[in-house]
Amino acid sequence: MKIELEGLTNRVPGTGDFITIDYAKCNNCECCLIICVMNLWRKKEGKIYIVDDYQSKCLECAACYQICDASAIKFQYPTGGTGIVFEKG
Amino acid sequence: MKDFDLIIVGAGPGGSMAAKTAAEKGLKTIFFERSRKPGEKNSSGCGLGPRMFRDFPEMMKELTPDKCPSMRAGTASRNYFVNNDDIVSGYIMARPTESVSYEPAKSWITMNVYRSEFDPWIAKFATDAGAELKTSTLIVDLLKEDGKICGVIDEKGEKYRAPIVIGADGVISTVAQKSGLRNKWAQNQVTLTLQYDFQAPSDKIDDIMGDETLAVWWGSNFPASYQVFFNDGFHQGLGNWMNWWDKNPLYYLNRVINLKYYQRLLKILDAKPRELQSHLLPWLDYPFNTHTDSVILIGDAGGFPCPLEAEGIYPAMVTGKIAAEVASEAVTSGDVSKATLKRFDEEWQNTSIGKEFEAGCELWNIWKALPFSPKETMSWFVPMIMEILGGIFDWSQPHALRVRQIISHVKSYMPKATPFIMTYVFPLIAKVFEDDLDKLMDPKKIMKVLPKLLDMLPQKKKKRGG
Ligand SMILES: Cc1cc2nc3c(=O)[nH]c(=O)nc-3n(C[C@H](O)[C@H](O)[C@H](O)COP(=O)(O)OP(=O)(O)OC[C@H]3O[C@@H](n4cnc5c(N)ncnc54)[C@H](O)[C@@H]3O)c2cc1C
Ligand code: SF4
Ligand code: SF4
Repeated sequence: MKIELEGLTNRVPGTGDFITIDYAKCNNCECCLIICVMNLWRKKEGKIYIVDDYQSKCLECAACYQICDASAIKFQYPTGGTGIVFEKG
Repeated sequence: MKDFDLIIVGAGPGGSMAAKTAAEKGLKTIFFERSRKPGEKNSSGCGLGPRMFRDFPEMMKELTPDKCPSMRAGTASRNYFVNNDDIVSGYIMARPTESVSYEPAKSWITMNVYRSEFDPWIAKFATDAGAELKTSTLIVDLLKEDGKICGVIDEKGEKYRAPIVIGADGVISTVAQKSGLRNKWAQNQVTLTLQYDFQAPSDKIDDIMGDETLAVWWGSNFPASYQVFFNDGFHQGLGNWMNWWDKNPLYYLNRVINLKYYQRLLKILDAKPRELQSHLLPWLDYPFNTHTDSVILIGDAGGFPCPLEAEGIYPAMVTGKIAAEVASEAVTSGDVSKATLKRFDEEWQNTSIGKEFEAGCELWNIWKALPFSPKETMSWFVPMIMEILGGIFDWSQPHALRVRQIISHVKSYMPKATPFIMTYVFPLIAKVFEDDLDKLMDPKKIMKVLPKLLDMLPQKKKKRGG
C-alpha cells in the first residue's frame, strides 16, 4: 500500500521564507536529504537546496535544522498564525 | 511596551499549566502561542498518563467527551512481536495488573485525546484564572537591558517586559537559545517522531479492538512503533534519535503500515489515512541547564520527557506548575537570580519526575539498545521471546522433548543475549534496587556463572526408575 501524502496536511498560507541555507557553511554531508520526511531537500550538481515550494509542503518539524551539525540551515518558525495545522495531532 | 509579572512563551500543556498556576497566585501573567489556537502545531501519541489524574484531580475530572470528543481510554495494551520476515509472530495483551495502586491507573493505561482538543482545553484553565493568552504571535528574541533578560520581543518588534520568562516553547526553544542555556540539542538528545493519523469509524474500533486501545509493534525492521486509538481514529507512529536514521524516516513507518497483518487491520477497521505529522521530541538521560538569571525552561524546552518512553505531557505540567511557583516567590522577593531559581531544580527533583530521572541513564540506555536498535537487538530478541512464548504451545513432539528443544534453541541466542543482559539489564536492576544488588550484579561474576548454568541444563532426559 502506498499512502499518498497529498492531502494529508493542511496549512494557513503566508508563512514567508523560514528556512534558508548558508552555502559558506554547508559541507555536503547530505544529512538533511535523509532526515526530511517530506523529502524537501535535494542535491543538484553537487549543491544542496530546499525545493522552491517547501512552504506549502513543510511540516515545521525542524529536523533539517537540528541535524545540520555545520549550522548551515537557518530555521525560524513561520509568521505567527500561518503554516502547518495539525487537526489530529 | 507592556509590563507583566511573568511571561511564558508557549501554550502547550507546560505553558498553560505554568500560566494557570501563576495567575492563581495573583501574578499578572501573559502566555504566547505562535499558532492561531493552542494545539494546532503539536503532535503527540497522544496518550495521557494516569499520574496526571492522580496529581491534578480537580482539573482532570473536567476532561470529558463533550469538551474533548476524541477521548478514548486505553484500557489494555497490545504488544505485537514482528519477526525478521515482517510476520507478526505473536502478541501479548496486558491490562493494568494487580499491583497497580491507584485509580484511574487500575482502570486504564492511557487516556487518549487529540492535542487539537487537549491543548485548548488546558489553556482555558489559565485564561479562566486570569492569565492573558496571545495567539498567532511568534516570540523571536528576549528583551535585554544592561545585558539582563527582562522580557520578550515578538516578530513584529513588540516588546513585553517581566522580571521572569518561562520557556515553555517546546523542543526548538527560542528562550533556551536566546538566554544562552542551549543553542541546540546534541543528536542523541532528541528524536524525530513521525506519525500517520488514520480515521476509522468509532463502532468498528469498539468491535474490533474492544478496550485494547494502545499497542506497540516491536520489530527488527523498524524502531518500535506505537498505535494509539481515539474515538474515531488512531495514530501510528515511530521515532528514533536523530543520529540513527539511514533512510527517510517515512520508509520505516511505511514498513509497519505494509505489514500484512497491519493491512488486514486497516481493512477490517475500515481505516483511511487522514493526516501526516512529524515533530521532534527531546529524549534525555537527564535534563540540564534548566535555568539562569530571569529564565526557567520547562517541559520539552527543558528536556523533561521520561527517559524510558518519553511520556512528556505530564512532565511538562509538573515542571510548569513548579516553575510558576518558584517564579512567583522570586518575583515577590525581587530576587530573580540564577541562585534563587535553582530552587526549580530542587523542587522537580523531589517529584515523580525527579524519581524517574534517578535511573535516567539506565532507562535511556536500555530503550536505546532494545526497541530503538531493531537490527542489532530486536532481530534476536523477537525470535527468542517467541520461541519461549510460542514454543510451549506446540504439540509437534512430546511436551518434555519440546521443552528441551526450546531451551536448547534459546541457548543459541545467549551469545547475543548475555552481553545485552549484562550491559543493560543488570545495571538497571542494580539501580532500581539501589546498592543492595550491586555486588550480586557484578558483571564479572555473572559472566562466570551464566554459561555454566546454561550448560547444566539437561541435554537429554535421564531414564527414570532405571
Ligand atoms: C509524535 C510524538 C508522540 C508523543 N507521544 C506522547 C504521548 O503519547 N504521551 C505523552 O505524554 N507525551 C508524548 N509525547 C511528548 C509530548 O508531546 C511533549 O513532551 C509535550 O507536548 C511537551 O509539552 P510542552 O508544553 O513542554 O511543549 P509543546 O507541547 O511542544 O508546546 C510548546 C508550544 O509552544 C509554541 N511555541 C514554540 N515556539 C514558540 C515561539 N517562539 N513563540 C510562540 N510560541 C511558540 C508551540 O507552538 C507549542 O504550542 C510525544 C511527542 C511526539 C512528538
Ligand atoms: S545537513 Fe547541513 S551541512 Fe549537511 S548537506 Fe544539509 S545543509 Fe549541508
Ligand atoms: S522542517 Fe521538517 S519537513 Fe520542513 S524541510 Fe525541515 S525536515 Fe523537512
